[in-house]
Amino acid sequence: MATLGGTSETPVTPPPPIPAPPTAGRAWLALIRVSWQRQARARMMVLIALGLLAFMTFLVAIITPRAWDWRYWRSPPRRGLSYEQWQYPLALARNAVPLDPVTGAVQRAAAGAYQAVLFNPEATRRAGFTRFTDSIVFTMFTTFLLPLWSLSFATEGLGREREDRNLLWLLTRPLSRPAIYLAKYVAILPWALGLNLGGFTLLCLVAGEPGRLALRLYWPAVLWGTLAFCALFHLMGAWFRRAAVVAILYSFFLETVLGNLPAYWKRASLSFYTRCLMFDRAQDLGIQPDKPLLYLPVGGTAAWCVLAGLTVVLLALGALVFARTEYLDLS
Amino acid sequence: MLLFDKVTKWYGPVIGLNQVTLELRPGITGLVGCNGSGKSTLLRLAAGQVRPHLGSVQVCGHEAWSAGAKRHIGYCPELDTFYEEMSGRRFVEVMAQLCGYSCREARRRTAEILELVGMADRAEGRLRGYSKGMRQRIKLAQALLHDPELLLLDEPLSGIDPIGRRESLELFLELARRGKCLLVSSHELEELEKLTDHVAIMARGRIAAVGTLTQIRDLLDNHPLSIRIDCDEARRLAGALLGLEDVAGVEFPDGDHTLLVRARNPRRFFQELTGLVLEEDFDVRHLETLDDSTHAILGYLLGKRTT
Repeated sequence: MATLGGTSETPVTPPPPIPAPPTAGRAWLALIRVSWQRQARARMMVLIALGLLAFMTFLVAIITPRAWDWRYWRSPPRRGLSYEQWQYPLALARNAVPLDPVTGAVQRAAAGAYQAVLFNPEATRRAGFTRFTDSIVFTMFTTFLLPLWSLSFATEGLGREREDRNLLWLLTRPLSRPAIYLAKYVAILPWALGLNLGGFTLLCLVAGEPGRLALRLYWPAVLWGTLAFCALFHLMGAWFRRAAVVAILYSFFLETVLGNLPAYWKRASLSFYTRCLMFDRAQDLGIQPDKPLLYLPVGGTAAWCVLAGLTVVLLALGALVFARTEYLDLS
Repeated sequence: MLLFDKVTKWYGPVIGLNQVTLELRPGITGLVGCNGSGKSTLLRLAAGQVRPHLGSVQVCGHEAWSAGAKRHIGYCPELDTFYEEMSGRRFVEVMAQLCGYSCREARRRTAEILELVGMADRAEGRLRGYSKGMRQRIKLAQALLHDPELLLLDEPLSGIDPIGRRESLELFLELARRGKCLLVSSHELEELEKLTDHVAIMARGRIAAVGTLTQIRDLLDNHPLSIRIDCDEARRLAGALLGLEDVAGVEFPDGDHTLLVRARNPRRFFQELTGLVLEEDFDVRHLETLDDSTHAILGYLLGKRTT
């Protein structure tokens, strides 16, 4: 056998017959392993995601000492006295102005009830949890961080292969295109789940008691939200050449706008169902939308079914798109 | 092994391939044509990277687009991007694993193939630091490692040094001897001629001609073959040649000892010339056909001189 660069005295024989035939299953697992390893090379979007995580962690760490304990909340917000401070002027007023016994008794009862509630550990815990849920979990995490962190890995799965024009090497291997698509999705998940669940865990732990309670209740919603978002952004990676840009536009405009529209429009957004799962898990603690009649949340089972069903449907659609698309930009 | 059946491929309003029918059997076939003639489209269709709008492309009985066909195809694209962070060895090994081989088998095959393409001692460095020739060899290695029946090689000699070229050509010839089917697209016609005389010539999305160079040359009735003959009695030989039915004209480009003959039906002409020389005892010192190269044939077929 002729060799390239080899010496003519020591010819190299061609590979002998294959001892064990190659299998598609082994190739599929190898693709998952290689794709997972290649995802480790953080790129711009992942760096941004990590930067946001660091910033949010810092922010939560800064506000935690006072934000979740309602004794420090102010009325009017930001510039008024704290709830704890309000009991002193009330007491001063009660002592300064002589009242008739009945009125004084009522006033003392009211002040006592105020103090009882203010210093009740269970009520304090619930109030802190409610505020943490509203300000961090719903406003920041579900609406903003969850889609953004998901897209940072999910659009890179196929999008990066396309951008670097390496997808060709995968398409020349004896693997069906749907199998390649699914392998890429599976390879994304450890990273995306790691970032989303890990990031959520970190934020919750930094927030103290309300965060620990939120973590215990909300992690399934984060898990299912991540699966659905990744399936959506993975589909975008197969469909669009600049998938990251499309996914960012989708996250900022459609998810945010749709998620805040009244009535049924918001049901077109994935974060709506993620929130509904959270409402369902925390309903015993009084967590519900500000205006339930306007928000029209769905039940926990329905939300779970929609997220799981959408994940499957989006994956099937993506596999179909990927199987039928000719990637002419590869060469 | 590779069958194109009335294949048409469009890129929007532009036709890439037009009603192409082609069947390749084991051996080496050169794919030649100008830029934009459809060579790359044909190779991409054969490699299952694009699908035909009309007709079908089959590789060993499988649709080229299917995963089943990929087991039989080794594709060495012109594309020059890799997983740049990997070493050459790691890249080939990953490609072997993606073919479904076990890790041990992938390592074994990688080692053998790297030896085969002359990269065994240089495969540890990162791909981003490789020269064009080294990258070309790695591309070749990944195409060969699953021992495919059909090899699609797009400009495989591009960037390789002269020694490497010779070794590549020897390797391709050896693969053809082992019954592989090689379709080699190249602009380097001289190198291609060393490899094979079986070519498919493409022009404007069609196969303009396919066959051996001699067969194709014989079909070019409008372009009689030019033959240079050095002979002491050139004028007497010219007179005798003009009596032959297939001789279209005779010239004396370099004095009285050199003859330029234009002849149709080259096979019959050479038979008659041989008889004439023996009968009349002409002292022919040199005989050379001037325009039966791939280069000249391509020029005639495309209606212009190629460069």
